[in-house]
Amino acid sequence: MTASNAPLRASGPGGSIYDLGYQGYSGPRLGRAYAVRALFAHTLRSAYGIGRGGRAKIIPFGLAALPLLIAVIGVGIAALAKQAGELGSIVEESSPIRYAAFSGLISTFVILFCAAQGPELLGRDQRYGVLPLYFSRALARVDYSLAKVAGMMVALLILIVLPYLVLFVGRVFVADSPVDGLAAELPSVPPLVAQSLLTAGVLGSLAMVVSAHTPRRAYATVGIIAALLIPSIVVAVLHEEAFGRVGDLLVLLSPTDVLDGLNAALFDTAAGSPVVVDIDLPGYAYLASAIVGTVLFVALTIRRFQRISA
Amino acid sequence: MPLIALEGLTKRYRAGVTALDGLTLELEPGIIGLVGANGAGKSTMLKLLLGLLEPTAGSIKVLDMDVKTHGPQIREFVGYMPEHDCLPPEASATDFVGHMAQMSGLPRTAARERTAEVLRHVGLYEERYRAIGGYSTGMKQRVKLAQALVHDPRLLLLDEPTNGLDPAGRDEMLDLVRRTGTEFGIAVVLASHLLGEIERVCNYLVAIDNGRLLRAAALGTFTEHTGVLAVEVEEGRERLAGALTSNGLEVVEDGRLVLVALQGEGTYDVVRDAVVDLGLPLVRIEQRRHSLEDLFRDDPSPEAPEAPAA
Repeated sequence: MTASNAPLRASGPGGSIYDLGYQGYSGPRLGRAYAVRALFAHTLRSAYGIGRGGRAKIIPFGLAALPLLIAVIGVGIAALAKQAGELGSIVEESSPIRYAAFSGLISTFVILFCAAQGPELLGRDQRYGVLPLYFSRALARVDYSLAKVAGMMVALLILIVLPYLVLFVGRVFVADSPVDGLAAELPSVPPLVAQSLLTAGVLGSLAMVVSAHTPRRAYATVGIIAALLIPSIVVAVLHEEAFGRVGDLLVLLSPTDVLDGLNAALFDTAAGSPVVVDIDLPGYAYLASAIVGTVLFVALTIRRFQRISA
Repeated sequence: MPLIALEGLTKRYRAGVTALDGLTLELEPGIIGLVGANGAGKSTMLKLLLGLLEPTAGSIKVLDMDVKTHGPQIREFVGYMPEHDCLPPEASATDFVGHMAQMSGLPRTAARERTAEVLRHVGLYEERYRAIGGYSTGMKQRVKLAQALVHDPRLLLLDEPTNGLDPAGRDEMLDLVRRTGTEFGIAVVLASHLLGEIERVCNYLVAIDNGRLLRAAALGTFTEHTGVLAVEVEEGRERLAGALTSNGLEVVEDGRLVLVALQGEGTYDVVRDAVVDLGLPLVRIEQRRHSLEDLFRDDPSPEAPEAPAA
């Protein structure tokens, strides 16, 4: 494995250029596990357009900024409420920006993020024929699917958790003392974490399973929005038409309603959608649906890339 | 240890098309040409070596590891340049090749260094920071070769690497391939339907036709002497053929030539005597050489005894 013969030398007034020939690589090869981690990191960065030029960042950063803005406003309201003394408790009570309602407030941005970035993450490799290059490297097909899905889920988790964090920290410091603030806010943390994880799981896997099945971005985007909105509409119509308890159970097939129901159960409050309130299923039914759905979507994504010809 | 060992390798596609039919073959490191007409099974064979396709029957060992059980480990040390487009247009060559190096298990910094090295090696300089979408076909082919070489593989699989290149680009690409094999000590399998390319670059040749192994041998043996004498006379071709036949030789008339199966040193004397006896104007007597094209000829014209085994 020797490099090319003698170094070629081109001497001139500016100095010399040495053609050192081809150098082999004898450094570490970290193999499959490393490749998967690197693909995960690459996917997460791509979800926010990092490493892909300025224009690719506009949509993801914009969609991530708006929930943050809502959180900042929420903190502002909390601060105002504290200044207002007695009136404050009324302001605080009636503020729409509370932990329990936050999931609903930012859901539009989360859904748009799914519809915009999911197809970017899985469609491009299919569209441009890059898959054979991945599958002929140190990772297996299943690794590719899992790294991509995990990257999308974590990207969503960041989108969701960051504003929660702003709201939380803001409210802690708005309180009379940070210790009091922590004591008041900490009980909200477990439901916040659970809701964030389940939302990222369900919506991330759904965005990926739809994106996995078409190289066309437009189809995938429409498909994701349709998969999120149409079931909810169908459930509402069926409920109106009174198909009875069996018809109501279809709510468990509507991702947005499932997340709404979960949120209501976790925070022990009323659901955002009147239909979900009316149907009134127990929280564990929504939890089961969210987990089964996530597992199913991930499995279907894996199956797609096991079968796709490369 | 053979580089590649195939045992009864068969691949049938779902449509019932048999792409490879019972290939058994052992290959040692070198620059191996894989020739066959379009659809002969070349691409299928490369994809089977990579584990991109599952064989219908038979076994494949690459670098002494079974493709079925050690896919990712094998592919750490294999580079693959597909026939078709496989580059995302909005990525730069540097970013893309660096990413692919990581996918082969190279740590981030090593991936960067190797990328710079290999892009320089294939002859991409300043343009490597520009988006690939703006590249010419020749530049894209170089990027495709670079991504196959970036992790310093032990085996390089090239599928029609000169596709779409103009004559100058073709020469440069073939030169790169030849240097990769000879100077860097990387084993190469070069699939091509152009015998001329194989002849220029390779030292071993595997010919397949309709999914069957036609022949596998060092390149020299394909062009060695055949067991056929070509005799050219200015006139009296029929009389000469008749005389030789009556002397117990196998004779075929082919245009202006009389082709005689060589049965030993005595055959020369018989031919000479026959020409003298008939008083014919003799132009030449020569032993025929194989040409690579003979491999794919439907009717190897002289019905001579088989060429001596290599």
